[in-house]
Amino acid sequence: MDEVPQEDLALESQLRIKVIGLGGGGSNVLAGIDRTRYPQVEYSIVNTDSQALVQSPVDSKVLVGRSVTRGLGAGGDPEIGSQAIATDRAALEGLVAGADLLILVVGLGGGTGTVAAALLAELGTAAGAIVLTFATQPFTFEGSRRREVANAGLSELRGKVHGLVPVPNDLLLQETDESETALSAFAVADQWIGRGIHSICAMLFETGVINQDFGALRGLLQGLGGKTIFATGAATGGDYITNALRDLLDCPLLHTTERPKQLDRILVHLVAGPEMGLSKMQQLMTQIGSHFESNEEILFGAVIDPERTESLEVCLLAKVELESAARKASGGDTDRAREPMETEQGLGLEGFISTQKEKPPVHESKLSKKRKKAATDQDEFLFVDLEAQRGYFDQTDQNLYNNEDLDVPTYLRKGIKIKLK
Amino acid sequence: MSQPRIVAAVEIGTSKIAVLLGKLEGNTNLEIVGHSLSTSKGVKKGEIRDLRAVSDCVHSALGSAEGKSPQRIDEVYLALSGRHLEGNFNTGTATVSDAAGRVRQIDIDQARADAKRRELAEGRSYIHHIQNPFLLDGRPLRNPIEQEGRRLEVGYWSVHADTAQVRNCLRIIKGYGMDVSDMVISSVASGSVLVEAAEKDVGALVIDIGGGTTDWVLYRGGFIVRTGVIAVGGDHINNDLSAGLRTGPKSAEQIKVEYGRAYYESSDRNEKVWLFGDYTIGDREFPKAAVTRIIEARVTEIFEIIKAEIKKADFFNPSEIASGVVLTGGTARLEGLDQVAEKVLGVPVRFADFQPGLNPELRKPEYTPVIGLLDYALQGQEHAGNKRGGGLLGGLFDILGINRREDEF
Repeated sequence: MDEVPQEDLALESQLRIKVIGLGGGGSNVLAGIDRTRYPQVEYSIVNTDSQALVQSPVDSKVLVGRSVTRGLGAGGDPEIGSQAIATDRAALEGLVAGADLLILVVGLGGGTGTVAAALLAELGTAAGAIVLTFATQPFTFEGSRRREVANAGLSELRGKVHGLVPVPNDLLLQETDESETALSAFAVADQWIGRGIHSICAMLFETGVINQDFGALRGLLQGLGGKTIFATGAATGGDYITNALRDLLDCPLLHTTERPKQLDRILVHLVAGPEMGLSKMQQLMTQIGSHFESNEEILFGAVIDPERTESLEVCLLAKVELESAARKASGGDTDRAREPMETEQGLGLEGFISTQKEKPPVHESKLSKKRKKAATDQDEFLFVDLEAQRGYFDQTDQNLYNNEDLDVPTYLRKGIKIKLK
Repeated sequence: MSQPRIVAAVEIGTSKIAVLLGKLEGNTNLEIVGHSLSTSKGVKKGEIRDLRAVSDCVHSALGSAEGKSPQRIDEVYLALSGRHLEGNFNTGTATVSDAAGRVRQIDIDQARADAKRRELAEGRSYIHHIQNPFLLDGRPLRNPIEQEGRRLEVGYWSVHADTAQVRNCLRIIKGYGMDVSDMVISSVASGSVLVEAAEKDVGALVIDIGGGTTDWVLYRGGFIVRTGVIAVGGDHINNDLSAGLRTGPKSAEQIKVEYGRAYYESSDRNEKVWLFGDYTIGDREFPKAAVTRIIEARVTEIFEIIKAEIKKADFFNPSEIASGVVLTGGTARLEGLDQVAEKVLGVPVRFADFQPGLNPELRKPEYTPVIGLLDYALQGQEHAGNKRGGGLLGGLFDILGINRREDEF
């Protein structure tokens, strides 16, 4: 990526996406993902630890709180972290300036990331950006102190960002073989978050065979707070469509105790090889649709990637507003349009060819009357008992014992690997 | 002696509402004249979350039990559970005031009052003060009266509850037109029928794993020394399975019932089970090991927490739980639960037996606490015949070593 003058491309697209890795955890994730695929995206990392910054392959680096920590890091202490961050507020303001979409990546439980994320979220929303945060939560075995810090950080962040995707590290162990190291568990987190970021970029920077734009993303995430659900699945070769669907439905991020049954808004995005025809896509979308309950019509987007063969990547991003907001938002929103622009372009190869020049519009798009009606019809289902829409223990208090939430499956907290095959 | 009374024993559980109607006559005669076991709604982890829904369920359960009885209900006894129940061990002391150095009633009263003086935080109310042995100059005694000594000490295991939760329970019964005569925590009610006096003397641990909670009671030297509630039960197993197998709660429950075992065996890796088993779309196969590993992790943790809680009180000594562990509750149906309990706790474990002669329809673990409640009601009646006054309830709990503070809920 180094050869490409990033600023030029970013200016050309007009849409500015900034991905910022915060603290040690967030920086590591950014280091682990492919940052060359969408050069329009500006990646940077923020840390109080100068050594960690130097070692990171991410180009844009911001050292904060040198006067407080002398560049030695916050030592896992959020108190020190917030003092450090406070000294460099201006630098952080500059970092978020001009962004339309701010994607924060943070590993909760440490001293720097959590407080930095909270501040950047505030600065970002104040500057008019949509803020989406991926926040990894520490392994249970890392002890109760980190967990406490992480939990506090998570609830603080929740109200300050438009979308918050918690990634419990405990889930990662499920995705690795017993023989593998903790590093490969982290690689899974990098992969999930990387796919999420790439999928959003694909949607925003490429004109898809089924196109979605920034307006759709903004509409999906809308207000601050609420719950964000993110899941991803991928498969290659053979029965790749079915397998990718299975992989998506099996994504552990969908099966945390936090997941509400009924979602307010869902966006599903596909990146497929050119041989996947539109009819197959429609089929897949119908199938995905049958697995999720949404208060509004599910939005679909699809992009063709000519470098893939028999390969499919699916990402799902969904939002549930807080209870009080849920009804109001859902009711009013159906009038506003965030409907897909269905550019049918045969097998989609043309879609790719036209990709490079045409940038999708950034604002509201067309209304499809048929879809609007369907969305209005769904209003009557809004008055379903809210309790019944949520995950089983969703509305209950946390069940804390020695700082572990006993409502979270034991096998996840203890890192016991469950094989489904 | 007195007229026969119909006592309704009620437990508002997370998954079931159990109602038992007992006709109490004379000193020892208890006849069960009505019962109902129905699905509970609006309760999670033992706590009421939707008062209206719970209320409807309880009223219809009471109505259905009362419908079978020839007489109307006279009194209601309530079993309590839920994470909001907590306990403290409080001790009280008195210096023996008699010049001759013999313990008099006044000293005992003073030590008792001293032990119960501890004020609770706002919003909490005492349910029971469960008396533990007296210590006279460090010597444990059941009854210190007229014994020689200087310093009398008494300990109470005091169980307290969230006032709002208890008030909701009382309100539900009030909605049926009845007042609650008394409340007993579920673990104590179950324990009273599941272990004999002799077993309580040598030490016993009763564990009731229900839908939303696990209630336990530890006996030592004939006294209830500790009780506890963990807000984890069969619902958690279902939820874990649902997360681990990526399926809905209904098929998770079905899988638990059909293939569930409390422990994992290496042969489970090779045994395949079907998610739905009905050839429908979406049905898939996975190793039984996925099921048993998930369940094993959860039930092991439940027993580990109980062990840790007992250890914390410094009571964990297998030789002092000589009559072992008794398992009950709906989740005790899980195959191999006794083996896991034995492995973790290191004491012999058995499943609760039903009393001989018990109506086959009542041979369900969900009825155990309410049978215990009726037993309490009966013992209270028995005692009422020869007591010195002071009200039926005071006597009832005195005889059992249990006091309930006269709090207005």
